[in-house]
Amino acid sequence: MASISATAKSIPTRPRHSLQAVNGIFGLKSVSISSLRRSFPSIRLQPTPMRFRVCCAAKPETVQKVCDIVKKQLALAEDIAITGESKFSTLGADSLDTVEIVMGLEEAFNISVEEESAQNISTVQDAADLIETLVAAKSG
Amino acid sequence: MSWLLRRNMLPLHSNSLARRPFASPLPLPPASLPSPRETHIWYVVPDELKDASLLYQYMELLSPCERQSVLRMNGERLQKGALLARALVRTTLARYGRLSPKSFKFQKNRFGKPEVEWDKYDLWAPPPLQFNISHTSTMIACGVTLDLPIGIDIEEKQRKTSNNILSLAHRYFSPVEVAYLKTLADPECRQSEFIRLWTLKEAYVKALGRGFSGTPFKDFTIRLEASNSKQVTGELKSDAPSIVVEAVDDPGILMNRWQFALFELNNSHYTAVCMERDVKNPADGENNSLKLEVWRTLPFVEDECVTETDAVKNIIR
Repeated sequence: MASISATAKSIPTRPRHSLQAVNGIFGLKSVSISSLRRSFPSIRLQPTPMRFRVCCAAKPETVQKVCDIVKKQLALAEDIAITGESKFSTLGADSLDTVEIVMGLEEAFNISVEEESAQNISTVQDAADLIETLVAAKSG
Repeated sequence: MSWLLRRNMLPLHSNSLARRPFASPLPLPPASLPSPRETHIWYVVPDELKDASLLYQYMELLSPCERQSVLRMNGERLQKGALLARALVRTTLARYGRLSPKSFKFQKNRFGKPEVEWDKYDLWAPPPLQFNISHTSTMIACGVTLDLPIGIDIEEKQRKTSNNILSLAHRYFSPVEVAYLKTLADPECRQSEFIRLWTLKEAYVKALGRGFSGTPFKDFTIRLEASNSKQVTGELKSDAPSIVVEAVDDPGILMNRWQFALFELNNSHYTAVCMERDVKNPADGENNSLKLEVWRTLPFVEDECVTETDAVKNIIR
């Protein structure tokens, strides 16, 4: 169905697990949003909106380093994919994890993160962007 | 969740979905309301859930928005945990008002703390319950009070930190708390005290409901207050030392509004509860400390009151 493929394309980083889990719950063999709607009519699986970054996006290496630190801290299974779009809340990070991640990032990048800035981070990309801003401010 | 279904269920094809009658869940046994100084705690151990059809039953209880949130979690384990957490909150609250677990609506206060949005019922007022939840990968706990702010936090006893304990403490704890941790020479003792202190601080922040940034950990100290000392209100303490909180900027002035309990749950988790003291119903000279009632549950399957058992031990209040 055109709408489904468009949805799939616009969320390339959405882990396939979530749709598989939905299929699994209902034993459906194929992605079928209409079947899902029949049993839970008010569900609309909205993709997370893609955020367009023009000039301030962190380098891919920074994003990757953040992903590695996060993955290690949260002891995630190998098949869990983390990308820039991954939200800390959906990765199962509790408050102690979050502060440990912040400290790990501070150590890895030799920066100091203010509490207020840390609170505004919701995705891996946010963390990477903040890190590069702080690194640049240090050296600039 | 699909792996559970492959093991336990026949495959369904999409046509049968509309016809398949979901088994009506057994009614939840009703529970008596918490008394003014009581916190009720209901906890679930995710590994005890072996029956995949329960996941269907739990999913049925959730609002569409909650279902979306569950499915957005990364991976099956986290999705199952998120589903159980919502099901635990709904079924727990339903026990007290004999309401349907599906019927609750939730909202967030202006700092993001979840709370029940009570409909205006024409004929009767539902009990004004307040709740808070906490989870780890191996347990989810829900605390309930009668109209008093509450915060609960659980951590696995075995939890190890990636960073050095004193580094973490220097960064996030108050000077008094850091000094206390430094007095503990044994690294394991220091580790477990750090975790216990963390759960207490977390429970306090959650009870206040202003979020991690609204109540920075560094701004307050939680410690044990020696026995037989008079507090600001003039009440005499019982013999045992008690857990108190004070502002770093205002040491010695204890924030009596808040009372705590710290204990071990299920032999696996440190658990901290912080509850606002009920000033409308002051104790008459008897023990004024926080009372606990604890149940282990698998909603719609079994409930077990574990208050006076080995599952709840080493209680400090």
